[in-house]
Amino acid sequence: MSQPYIEEEFRNKLDLDLWKRISKFALGHKRLLIPLTSSALLLSVVEALFPFATKVAIEIVEQGRPVIEVWKPGAIYFSLAVTLSILVLVFIRCAGGISHHISHDIKRDCFQRLQELEFAFYDAQPTGWLISRLTADCDRLSRILAWGFLDLVWGVFYVLAMSAVMLAINWKLALVVLSTIPPLIVISRFFQKRMLLASRQIRKHNARITASYNEGIAGVKTTKTLGREKQALSEFEGMSTDMYGASVRRAMLGAVYLPLVMTIGSIGSGLALWYGGHSVLSGYISLGTLVMFISFAGSFFFPINQIAMVLAEMQGAQAAGERVMGLLATYPKIKDSEEVKNRIATYAESSSMDPNIACDGYPHIINQIEFKNLSFSYNDKEAVLKNFNLTVTRGQTIALVGPSGGGKSTIVSLVSRFYEPTEGQLLFNDVDYRKRSLDWLQGQLGIVLQTPHLFNGSICENIRYGRLDATDEEIIEAAKIVNAHEFVMKLDDGYETKIGEGGALLSTGEKQLVSFARALIANPQIFIMDEATSSIDTETEKLIQEGMSKVFEGRISFVIAHRLSTIRSADQILVIQKGEIEEQGTHEELLANRGHYYELYVNQFRRERVRQELEAS
Amino acid sequence: MNHQLPNSQGGATSAHKLIWNLIDNHRLPYGIAALALFLSTAFQFFVPLIGSATIDFVLVEGTSEANPLLERVIWMIGGSEMVKEHLWLPAIAMLGFAIVGSLFSFIQKRKASIASDGICKGLKDKLYNHIQRMANRYLDQSQTGDLLQRCTSDIETIRLFLAAHVVEIGRALILLVTVLPIMLLMNVWLTLVSTIMIPIIVGFGYIYFKRVKRIFKDVDESEGRLTAVVQENITGIRVVRAFGKHDFEIDKFSKPNQEYRDTSLRLTRLMSLFWAPSDMLNLTQICLALVAGTYMAVKGMTTIGTLFGFLALLNMVLWPVRMMGRILTDLGKTIVAINRINEILIEPVETETDVVKIRPKLPTSGSIVMRGVTFSHSDSDPTVENISFEVEPGETLAILGPSGAGKSTLMHLMLRFYDCEKGEILLDGFNIQELDRQYVREQFGVVLQEPFLYSRSIKENIRFGNQAAEEKAIHEVARLASIHETITQFSEGYDTEIGERGITLSGGQRQRVAISRALLAETPILLLDDALSAVDNETESAIIDALKNRHGKHTTIVIAHRLSTLAHADKIIVMEKGRIIQTGTHDILTKEEGLYKRLWDIQTRLEESFEKEAMTAS
Repeated sequence: MSQPYIEEEFRNKLDLDLWKRISKFALGHKRLLIPLTSSALLLSVVEALFPFATKVAIEIVEQGRPVIEVWKPGAIYFSLAVTLSILVLVFIRCAGGISHHISHDIKRDCFQRLQELEFAFYDAQPTGWLISRLTADCDRLSRILAWGFLDLVWGVFYVLAMSAVMLAINWKLALVVLSTIPPLIVISRFFQKRMLLASRQIRKHNARITASYNEGIAGVKTTKTLGREKQALSEFEGMSTDMYGASVRRAMLGAVYLPLVMTIGSIGSGLALWYGGHSVLSGYISLGTLVMFISFAGSFFFPINQIAMVLAEMQGAQAAGERVMGLLATYPKIKDSEEVKNRIATYAESSSMDPNIACDGYPHIINQIEFKNLSFSYNDKEAVLKNFNLTVTRGQTIALVGPSGGGKSTIVSLVSRFYEPTEGQLLFNDVDYRKRSLDWLQGQLGIVLQTPHLFNGSICENIRYGRLDATDEEIIEAAKIVNAHEFVMKLDDGYETKIGEGGALLSTGEKQLVSFARALIANPQIFIMDEATSSIDTETEKLIQEGMSKVFEGRISFVIAHRLSTIRSADQILVIQKGEIEEQGTHEELLANRGHYYELYVNQFRRERVRQELEAS
Repeated sequence: MNHQLPNSQGGATSAHKLIWNLIDNHRLPYGIAALALFLSTAFQFFVPLIGSATIDFVLVEGTSEANPLLERVIWMIGGSEMVKEHLWLPAIAMLGFAIVGSLFSFIQKRKASIASDGICKGLKDKLYNHIQRMANRYLDQSQTGDLLQRCTSDIETIRLFLAAHVVEIGRALILLVTVLPIMLLMNVWLTLVSTIMIPIIVGFGYIYFKRVKRIFKDVDESEGRLTAVVQENITGIRVVRAFGKHDFEIDKFSKPNQEYRDTSLRLTRLMSLFWAPSDMLNLTQICLALVAGTYMAVKGMTTIGTLFGFLALLNMVLWPVRMMGRILTDLGKTIVAINRINEILIEPVETETDVVKIRPKLPTSGSIVMRGVTFSHSDSDPTVENISFEVEPGETLAILGPSGAGKSTLMHLMLRFYDCEKGEILLDGFNIQELDRQYVREQFGVVLQEPFLYSRSIKENIRFGNQAAEEKAIHEVARLASIHETITQFSEGYDTEIGERGITLSGGQRQRVAISRALLAETPILLLDDALSAVDNETESAIIDALKNRHGKHTTIVIAHRLSTLAHADKIIVMEKGRIIQTGTHDILTKEEGLYKRLWDIQTRLEESFEKEAMTAS
């Protein structure tokens, strides 16, 4: 799912402001952050002290001290070892802890924001893209934040501590050894950046190979009929060769880099031996000091490599950081205005007392919905609805028919306030619905979509999704009204039957029946059926048809449908084409017109009858 | 015909063979890599030895315990007197050895990568090729996701083994054969003390990772659960919003989110319990060497230089050894991965059972005969039973029947996706089972029930019908399939990409592109398996008209539901439950009782009833 969305950006400049914003997530975990920082600091000091033990040991031998003094370097070394192990324990726990906590917090906030954002946001973002933002990006950021921070602190202070110890003991020799640091930094930065980019290249090739396998497996029959097995293989070989090349290139970078920095370490040791050897011979420094310097010279590589790696990763993750922070900085456009919020506060008491008053102080009962000179466009360019006018009163059923893309779904999405009109108004009981509470409005909706998206869980849980406090009896009652009860009872576990991911264990028709019950359980005032019967078998369609006539009573209902049986009984049929009402009237009126509706009817009816005939036999 | 999965034992023995065969072509680079690894390790170990020798023979006066190895080292550089005068000599020697060691290390890494990545590339190609050529029966039974996982993550496991683990194990072995002798040469007792804990260090890692294996799985699983919730939420966001259930969803998400955090934290805590003690073990080992070495040096049993060398060597050896335990536990995973891949590779390809492979020089005339064909997908009821018919060259045969009647299976049998169990299918008098499979398929232009298009441009997709076709011919077939107009309306016309990176075509558009592709091939026979089901009536009749021009020249077999598509056929077969129940032409079948007549009646009577209804309404 996430494969097509591999990110390729690599920023040359570190955006410190961005990282500052991201690191706010870490600041909430001071309980872990403080021990992490102090253990990183201590660790660098401890590690810098190790060669000191060797120095003490060698000096004992050099100066011919009594053998009993051997305990000294042993004790120093051992106590350093114990301290280091404890610090390792502490920093792994703290860094890991921070990383997982941050990851959890960022995900929580992102998820929460995603639940608030309106449909227009989702129209612009592919599902897979959003999922990888929420999983891969968040994990990556939190990892860099915690471990990167640790490595940076440790690395910088380790270098500083070693330098300080050396400078304090012999500043001339120290400067000689320290001269290897600048080339180490330059080379490490150079290679780490390239290795990161090369690894990404490999991932990109790998994603292509996976996609190619996928296509090869899914299209195997077609490939066979076209006889293009050889050609397909040679194309695949092209991709696997690219991947091979990229992998070898990545390995080459590593193969040059590591020996190179090791060699620089040896240069340092060599310099120390040469320059320091003279000092030893002339008695300026002890042999133990020289040995210590030599081992320091070989140790600079580790922290500097680590720092370079963190910086490269930060550059690589910057794009991910921008996306996540960008998501958190996106606020929903459709929400209660200040005025509505004030009303909700003012009427809190009276609405809780009187069930006829909604939370925003207006009457709860919807008697009429009116589209008034309403226009709408998704992207401010092409109008999907133009100057649309329609009045629907309680108890009426409106059927919307017409070609796809004509604007039928837009009309019901506007009623649901998933989008808001670009021009004109939508009035509920003569009040613009933007002056009403969004939560209240959406609580009055019962929607059945073409693809009945069900959730992993039992049938009972899925129906209850419509109203979380519904009792089992109420659920069965709703299922009975929409004719779902019968099929549910035939299942092994009845209402407790698990339906699998996305309801995979049910047929499309059964899923639709469950989603119908789910819409009904909330006892909505507005009922919307958006192509709900278009991809189900005739048998289920009949069941739903029966259910609809019961459910629609006393509500305002909108039905988008192709099936004639569904359309015919509507109070008003609207033929919508190119964002306008082409024809309007009852079934009989429209047939008499011999216009679009008549044509549609003839074609559709023929199709349906043929289909029924083929299903029956 | 019996389809059997390999038993696990057979898989295990051939797993060895498989890996050996894979390495086969790459033994040379692997050999060079091993040699280079040996040399680079040896040279790198000399670097601290030079330091040791310099300390013992130059910097410290009158070393009592002369070490023959170090003496030889200093002699190689130029002798102690010479070195004392010119201290840059050992420094340059150190650098020289380091550089030579680095060079070999470079060669080793390069060759190891060429070998391991080369092996994986070969394995991937082999798998891809094999899957394409496997019998359809196997492919029908396997799940795409499972196959895909074997081709990707299992290969990655093998790559990790070949690229990293083999090298690490090799390094450990080489360290053992190079360092140990050097150390022993320098000082036997100190060597013993310095290596005494290595088995403990490796053993600790091995036992540790064996025991915590479970937690890695837990983390993976809880991550999977979290992703599942996110996925379900985002794909169903419209339902979530329609029911105003964002608070409920946030609540639902928080559980797996916390669970994933908590299992990860548990893993972190466990990992800290590995790293801290293993650091402690390593450091204790060095500490032991330090104390023992110092003691021996004071007692005159060894020299400072030797001690220095020992400590430096130990530092090089110990840290990589720490990971050996983990690598050893991972070996099991690799074997499983190899077996899983092998399970695919030992499945026979479809041509393996072909004994006779006749390949006539000329394309077929288009005559197809089925005689008593019976076939079943499973062991139970036959999918098609005793099917017989004849199609003359240039004729059109139409097949009608409810879904599940076995219509598509007939087409698949003609294409030799499966071989029939009883009866025979003749192409120009040849039994297709004795013909070359490739030849058989070349005779058919096919549009399958759910046409598959590749993630390429529209032009490339059509051109798959005939690679040599010119642009003009492509436009021509697109016009025949009534899709040319639609394609030219796309902003990039025929170069428009289809699929993930491009546009999504509607069902009817996909079918028409697939028809263009089949037409471009100009094969003697055209098979259309419900290929117009998603196309609207007008477009359908336009395509049917275009196809009529082929009549008499090319054989056409068409499965359809709309009578308008079937009516003009020379022969119509009505199928039900795997059998032919009616055969005839349109004129005959409209007079016989049966499915065809019922459909025809609906058609004609409706026209009248519409008129009536409209009249009464007005």
